[in-house]
Amino acid sequence: MPNKNGNVYGLTILSPIIDDDKATPSHDLQIRRYLATLPTGERSPFALAPGTHLARLVVMDDVIYVGMPACEEHLESKYLVFESNCDGELDNYLNGLAASVSEQLDAIWSHCVGYPGAANRQAFIDYMKACQIETTFFFAAVNDKSVSETLRALQTQHAVADFIASHQGMDPARLQAEFAQFVAELRSAPVPKAGSMGQPRDIKTGGRNE
Amino acid sequence: MSKLNETDIQGFVLRGYNLPLARYLFLHFEDASRARTLIGQLLHHVTTGQRWDGGKPQSTVNIAFTHQGLAALELPDATLLSFPVEFQQGMKKRAGILGDTGLNSPERWDEPWREDRVHAWLGINAQSPAALDSRCAEILGLLQATGGAVMLPSQDAAAVVIDGKPTTREHFGFTDGFGNPDYLGVDRSAQPGQGKLMPDGTWAPLATGELLLGYADEAGELPVVPVPHILASNGTFMVYRKLHQNLATFRAYLNEHAPLYGGGREKLAAKFIGRWRDGTPLELSPDNPDLSIAHDPKRSTNFTYGADSEGTRCPIGAHIRRVHPRDAFGFNGRLINRRRITRRGLPYGQFVAEGEPVSDTEERGVIFMALNASISRQFEFVQQQWIEYGNDAHLGNDKDVLMGNHGGHGKFVVQGDASAMNPPFICSKLPNFVELRGGDYFFLPSITALGMIAMDLVDPR
Amino acid sequence: MSNINGKVYAMNAITPMKPWKTFVLRGFFFLLGHIKPLQQDLINLSFIEFARWVVLPRKRFPYLGNGQLQEDLQYDYLLFFSNFNGTWNQYIDAFSAVLSKGLNLVWRWSEKFPGSVPVTPFKQYIARVQFDTDYYYTAYPHTTANDLKSAHIVQASLDSLCQNAQSCDPEQFADAYLRFVLEVQSHLGETGEAPTVF
Repeated sequence: MPNKNGNVYGLTILSPIIDDDKATPSHDLQIRRYLATLPTGERSPFALAPGTHLARLVVMDDVIYVGMPACEEHLESKYLVFESNCDGELDNYLNGLAASVSEQLDAIWSHCVGYPGAANRQAFIDYMKACQIETTFFFAAVNDKSVSETLRALQTQHAVADFIASHQGMDPARLQAEFAQFVAELRSAPVPKAGSMGQPRDIKTGGRNE
Repeated sequence: MSKLNETDIQGFVLRGYNLPLARYLFLHFEDASRARTLIGQLLHHVTTGQRWDGGKPQSTVNIAFTHQGLAALELPDATLLSFPVEFQQGMKKRAGILGDTGLNSPERWDEPWREDRVHAWLGINAQSPAALDSRCAEILGLLQATGGAVMLPSQDAAAVVIDGKPTTREHFGFTDGFGNPDYLGVDRSAQPGQGKLMPDGTWAPLATGELLLGYADEAGELPVVPVPHILASNGTFMVYRKLHQNLATFRAYLNEHAPLYGGGREKLAAKFIGRWRDGTPLELSPDNPDLSIAHDPKRSTNFTYGADSEGTRCPIGAHIRRVHPRDAFGFNGRLINRRRITRRGLPYGQFVAEGEPVSDTEERGVIFMALNASISRQFEFVQQQWIEYGNDAHLGNDKDVLMGNHGGHGKFVVQGDASAMNPPFICSKLPNFVELRGGDYFFLPSITALGMIAMDLVDPR
Repeated sequence: MSNINGKVYAMNAITPMKPWKTFVLRGFFFLLGHIKPLQQDLINLSFIEFARWVVLPRKRFPYLGNGQLQEDLQYDYLLFFSNFNGTWNQYIDAFSAVLSKGLNLVWRWSEKFPGSVPVTPFKQYIARVQFDTDYYYTAYPHTTANDLKSAHIVQASLDSLCQNAQSCDPEQFADAYLRFVLEVQSHLGETGEAPTVF
């Protein structure tokens, strides 16, 4: 099934955007404006709802003219592209979105043709499936770990590096005792939030999300 | 490919002179026409790439310009705008890209780098202090006679002298001078390991266009050059960086951490670089230095990392492995062929032997110069992605232990095995062993191009 | 509004294809999906987190009625969505250097594709057919594909050590611990911000 790679699902949705001369600004611009201020970190709807590794939303204005001798042609409608790399089965994922972030979903998709709203779960899922395009080939670097397993593994990696560095040359008995405590603390630590930036560093490198 | 015209290429590009002394003069042009006259006179002094049949000269002279310098010489706007973006901006504006922040940031740079007044670099290398002074006196005479430029604070540099003989050591005690690439058509005794790796395991020279403008590069095309082509051909770009070395901090760090490391102090130091202090590559001799390898050009750079993917002989983050990964990224080394640079330069400041008192505030370090056809694709890429970052080596954000801008954080992992003499070891809370104190990007023109500049004949149409 | 979030870049590209060529392309993707060794190079170029190609036939653009006009197109379209680490230049340089044949097999069916070698005209083509992302989310902004793989290795090794650690004396534990460190020693890279893009 090309939409899946291991346990990861490659969801590609193209929703036609409402074309209404009387809307000011036009619906595609309204979507753009909303997306420009939507948080991309811990407060992103995709962080609040479960199961999204990476996702994007793109207003696709038109097809692209590559130049002569290719023909110039244009789309009748603009489309909202939703590309998501997520865990598990499609229905569960869509249900999860509708249950957690219906407000954001409505704010975005209410500008699209035939959108029924997230309140009616089944209608919402049917609408999304009507807009779904089959992924022809889907590549995933890691395809067998869920979002929460991954967040936990990242936390572990960081903690393990610190532990190894601070326990060099320690006598075995003390090492074993401190290791046991380390593991207990790590196990009871809360899973880090999806989309979070972690601790700020002293040296600013001008990274995009500073 | 056609044979290189060595009389048209500045000698500094084609070979390291191996002269023990240097003085780098920095010039500021105030009047374009007087500056051009000066350049015309300097042309008679500029050392070309022509072979020295009668032995090495007493001194050599080479010249390069910043973008501001070319603008001060009133090259046409269309030419100035056709130079690569990074050269137009200059190194200071690229500080964020290069990781030149914190202790390396431009506010902390020395003169003449803090202000944007450097227009030209004049590199004078010499056999002896007398030869150096006499050559400089001639140059100064020209400056005075033509009124062509104002002198900014200059920089002296010299090979470290140990037991009365000049060496290729730098202040931390490591032997330098390996690792410059071979290029097609550039005549020098080729050493296996310096070119690019071929599928059958042999080494071939890199495409000429990785060093010189106007020739095909490793991507099978001509690198971006300014117009007109005749201005660019046979020229190259130079990155100049004054790297201050915190020798006291370095020695103290080794002293503090070596007792915890099973392999001992010298081995830990070797793990930082990837070579023992005498230059023996860890990859070929992981347990002890071996001068027979270090002194044999057929062996001293002839190795790959394929059999050491875990980093147990040479750590994955060791300096030479970071800047020249060879086959470490797979694909037979093809991913790295366009990321090579040619290094020139000398240490500066007083050499202090191990155990003697030393302070970080003393002026001491290395003048680092990199020659490459594309500053952004070659030097900047290596600096940003392989020195101040580690993802390509699967090391996340970990930086080069010696050169990295650590700020007291970060770590260096020495991968090991189960033996007592080669245990795994982590060095953390890394200080800045090296600090950037200034520099810029320069264009090193061909002899023809220098003549055109001097005669005001540059025309981009 | 950015193509970048932390260490990952969202590239979107759309190229037109004459409809009969789509058939050939689907055949190639079918093979790629079923012959694992063909994917090995993609896996070894370890800076792609997720990537997908979507063949969009000209009659299959979603149509929901309600006043929407139907599309009337001559070309089929190939959509490409990539989530990769590193800069745009670095990404394309790497593909052009080592995967040019594979790239050609995918894109030669697209109109006016110049070939993936040499790299400059290839980059110009990509710049022409790329369109920008309005909103990009990643659950792991400070990590790359390499970091993710390393994290899972460390987690698996730690779980394994914990199991064995239950029932051993300090000497045995020290041995097991050393083996654990050797397993994870090349997987401990710090995560954090991406270098400034240029």
